[in-house]
Amino acid sequence: MTHALLLSLSAHPGLAAFAAGGQRLARLNSIDILVIAIYFAMVVYIGFYLKGTSNTGQDFFLAGREMTSWIAGLSFVSANLGSLELMGWAGSAYQYGILATHWYWIGAIPAMLFLGIVMMPFYYISKTHSVPGYLQLRYGQGASALSAVSFALMTILMSGINMYSMALVMKVVLGWDLNFSIWVSSVTVAVYVALGGLKSAIFNEVLQFLLIWAGALAIPVLGLIDAGGWSNLRRQIATNLGRSDYVHLWSTLGHFNTNPMGVNWFGIVFGLGFVVSFGYWTTDFLVVQRVLSADNLRSARMAPVIGAAFKMAVPLIVILPGLLALAVLPFPLVGQDVAVHTGQHSYNEVLPLMLVRYCGPGLLGLGVTALIAGFMSGMAGNVSAFSTVWTYDLYGAFLNRKASDRHYVAMGRWSTLLGVLVSVGTAYLVQHAASIMDYVQQLFSFFVAPLFGTVILGMLWKRATKAGGFWGLLCGTTTSIGLWTWVRNDPSALRYVAMSASAKDMAENIYRALWAWLVCVLVTVVVSLMTEARPVKELEGLVYGITPIPREREERWHQRPVVWAGIVTVIFVGLNLLFW
Amino acid sequence: MRETLSIWWFAGLLLLAYGVIILLTGIWELSHPLVPPPVLNRLHPAIWWGGVLTLCGLGYCVRFRPGRR
Repeated sequence: MTHALLLSLSAHPGLAAFAAGGQRLARLNSIDILVIAIYFAMVVYIGFYLKGTSNTGQDFFLAGREMTSWIAGLSFVSANLGSLELMGWAGSAYQYGILATHWYWIGAIPAMLFLGIVMMPFYYISKTHSVPGYLQLRYGQGASALSAVSFALMTILMSGINMYSMALVMKVVLGWDLNFSIWVSSVTVAVYVALGGLKSAIFNEVLQFLLIWAGALAIPVLGLIDAGGWSNLRRQIATNLGRSDYVHLWSTLGHFNTNPMGVNWFGIVFGLGFVVSFGYWTTDFLVVQRVLSADNLRSARMAPVIGAAFKMAVPLIVILPGLLALAVLPFPLVGQDVAVHTGQHSYNEVLPLMLVRYCGPGLLGLGVTALIAGFMSGMAGNVSAFSTVWTYDLYGAFLNRKASDRHYVAMGRWSTLLGVLVSVGTAYLVQHAASIMDYVQQLFSFFVAPLFGTVILGMLWKRATKAGGFWGLLCGTTTSIGLWTWVRNDPSALRYVAMSASAKDMAENIYRALWAWLVCVLVTVVVSLMTEARPVKELEGLVYGITPIPREREERWHQRPVVWAGIVTVIFVGLNLLFW
Repeated sequence: MRETLSIWWFAGLLLLAYGVIILLTGIWELSHPLVPPPVLNRLHPAIWWGGVLTLCGLGYCVRFRPGRR
């Protein structure tokens, strides 16, 4: 999640320290600059090309609802594959070992499949344009407005933080000026999203996905040759670290203090695998918007399944380089705080370090382009989602309800530009007060877990009422903020929040989400039972059991999303057993 | 309304351009070795990786070329 949620869980405090932690890692030559320039030219051209095809609200905000399952699926997974995730999780793999893979497998795959098979029919059939839009239909304006305001605010702030982070990375890796990176990337994103809307953002996300693989796949391939294969890699890591728990996914999760991450299996399965993961992948509009652009219900259901299949492969280019670095780098990496004082390289620099280790001119430019593309498409995703929620769920719902479609499209373009400007402002703000970045990242995570409780009850339980939805969401969010504040003021409270004094940051985030979700569900149920239910007829198209779901009888077995979801599940289980 | 170019055609174009650039760079390095060389540069990753990208790009460009039904 450049997205905030996963980023906040990745426990990378103070990216500002990243900038101060070392000196320039690489120097680009003219070939590398040419590779980067071609990418910028291509994305701007796509924006101008798509301008003529984004004239109606449906075109601009939902890409005309004409994306195939492959495009929607790749865009769905790519919207989450920003460069901060790549670099952050490669660093986490160096720091925590293969446990970081949980955020790509159990922390993503079941939720993505659930979205495609169970939830997508309700989002798609209700013809909503956004997640707050669904809440408006299901619970009315209270829950919808709360969700829309928090989403719009946090999305745009996160966009600025991502922009600042990108500028920092470019400064550290290449020595580029912060202002240059911020303005070139933001103007480029503003041009192509304001012109082509969601379609332009989706096109560029698909390109980014291919670029990331083209730019990063050489690292694990060459790294495995360098390390002498997977078995030798495991042996080398055990020898270098003097411990063997860095290469096991599950066998070390019996207790908080038997693994490098300080978390246990219950937290990983129920906190990460259920609440955090389902909250992000099924209710964060940034990713759900990509699937809503699908051309029919079958494509909308297949898109998350396709996304899940590719998501399972991402550890190859993210986690494996981190593990390889443990074995092949001739010097140790350190935490950011230490790096600031000693001038050593930090964990977060592991991906650029491996890139520089194996890639000469051309390949290096391609790797850097992949990082830039990741940052820019992440920002474009934030800005396009902000534009939709602002235009439909705030401006259209409260300020100007009866404007023409043309007016809303114009508002979408202007709000895109405004969103980019606010992002730039945020980038400069965090430049002078870096601690704000950590707070905002946490803030974003406060809303996601309770929102999942609200949405899932709304979809599966017809008795959930307007008041129940609003108060459940509000109490869940307040609980999350309260627990976070409690631990900040009294670190010993972690033993209650995460249920162990041995718990670390990751466990705190996971368990806080679990509590927030439980409170949200409990309050929603209690308040709903105390208030008058909506007539069943009004809930048609919104709630399971009342909504007729189109059957898949006319499709052949190999065209059915549920069959492919089953295949992905089998591979998912097999991989977890393989690396147990 | 004009025909919309396929995203896969754009993707093919980008991969082809990058493949050709990296392949040519790799060939150039055969006679002008890098100093200092990256680790495992003796395997000439620029040549095989540039070649793979070129082939993929060509495939996409042909398969999704404008006007093809």
